[in-house]
Amino acid sequence: MDSHEICATTRVRLAPQVRFQLDPVTGKSVLLYPEGILELNETAADVLACCDGRPFAEIVEALGEQYDVDAQTLSSDVRQTLADLRQRKLVELT
Amino acid sequence: MNAPRPYALLAELTYRCPLHCPYCSNPTHAPNARELTTDEWKRVIAGAAALGVLQIGFSGGEPLVRRDLAELIRGAREAGLYTNLITSGIGLNRDRAHALREAGLDSAQLSFQSDDSDLADRIAGARAHGEKLEAAAHIRAAGIALSLNFVLHQQNIDQLPQMIALAEKLEAQRVELANAQFYGWAFVNRAALLPTRQQIDRALQVAAEAKARLAGRIDIFYVLPDYYQTQPKPCLNGWGQRYLTVNPVGDVLPCPTAAWAIPDLHFENVRMRAIEWIWRESESFNRFRGTDWMPEPCRSCPRREIDFGGCRCQAALLTGNAANTDPVCELSPDRARVEAVLSEINSSPKGEPRWLYRTNPQPLSVQISD
Repeated sequence: MDSHEICATTRVRLAPQVRFQLDPVTGKSVLLYPEGILELNETAADVLACCDGRPFAEIVEALGEQYDVDAQTLSSDVRQTLADLRQRKLVELT
Repeated sequence: MNAPRPYALLAELTYRCPLHCPYCSNPTHAPNARELTTDEWKRVIAGAAALGVLQIGFSGGEPLVRRDLAELIRGAREAGLYTNLITSGIGLNRDRAHALREAGLDSAQLSFQSDDSDLADRIAGARAHGEKLEAAAHIRAAGIALSLNFVLHQQNIDQLPQMIALAEKLEAQRVELANAQFYGWAFVNRAALLPTRQQIDRALQVAAEAKARLAGRIDIFYVLPDYYQTQPKPCLNGWGQRYLTVNPVGDVLPCPTAAWAIPDLHFENVRMRAIEWIWRESESFNRFRGTDWMPEPCRSCPRREIDFGGCRCQAALLTGNAANTDPVCELSPDRARVEAVLSEINSSPKGEPRWLYRTNPQPLSVQISD
């Protein structure tokens, strides 16, 4: 999808059929969805941990406290990550 | 070698099924033993979770015939697994759907034999299509993620556009368009199931167009017709690497067809050995793990870690030796066997298709734990 569809007030949540949990073997976060598994790197896991229905701007703000990166780059990277996840139907935008 | 870590378990709860689809890959004759009990399945599930499995598919036959299904789903959920039900939908009324959701069912993959009820019921050998449409609605209403599976073959592949339209109408999230693979009943019925080249060329176009059009709305998986390829499918991503199956009587297999297709390989049973040991140590799981076992041409082929020489079951079925290159591969010395089958299908027009309808395996005596 076009990442331009994500604006400051867009609310982001995990898609209802998705489980976000720890893989007990690797200790890393994974997304489980119908007949599928997505292993997450740390950054993606941190983004997904914020996908609880809060608006995009708040997600970026929360991550800004964890990541020492300029706001514009962070916003752009997070937007792209969410667009990719949305395309895969792993997050929903409202 | 350290055993790899498995990701998904296919739990074939039963070979009993109310339908008679001629493309079924269940064995045509089943072992003469009792189905696993509820407690035995719970131990299997716990053992699989301990190995690292994250996904479980409850399948069969028809898993809904097991009255302990909700209890098994609950057990899987408690073990931290994502639960999928692979079902014909027969028996999945509103109450049952809600009960399974309450037990923790995440996702259901519902089969359809076609978009049109006459053809669908003729393929299933039973009046089933209407009930499946209702099952789809109950699954959605219960908040269970809905996937659809259409097995494609000579008799229905021309309806592919209509089948995709049905998937859109039912608001499925995921659709498998799976060209029939030839194991079990499907192998017996191959002449009535293998499409012509013209049929599969058309279907590939239709599937590609739909996949692009529906991207971001419906996940479409098109499984290629194996015999028409020149390189074999990377079966299971390698034997004993990511997947395992436990069949209704407790045999642990790398895939659902291995016991039927490779009869001279001894598979272990959960009643005799722990599932963890079977995965890691058993001769059957280690027999084709990795690449050391490969004869030529696989042994020195640059694709050996891409497609793993294809499917062991298919090599066994078509060449008599499970260690051979899958004869789908154009480098296989046995490729001509596949070519002969394709020639036959693509030559002069055939009469009315005839097939053997699937029957429930005999003499499996039905013992389930309530």
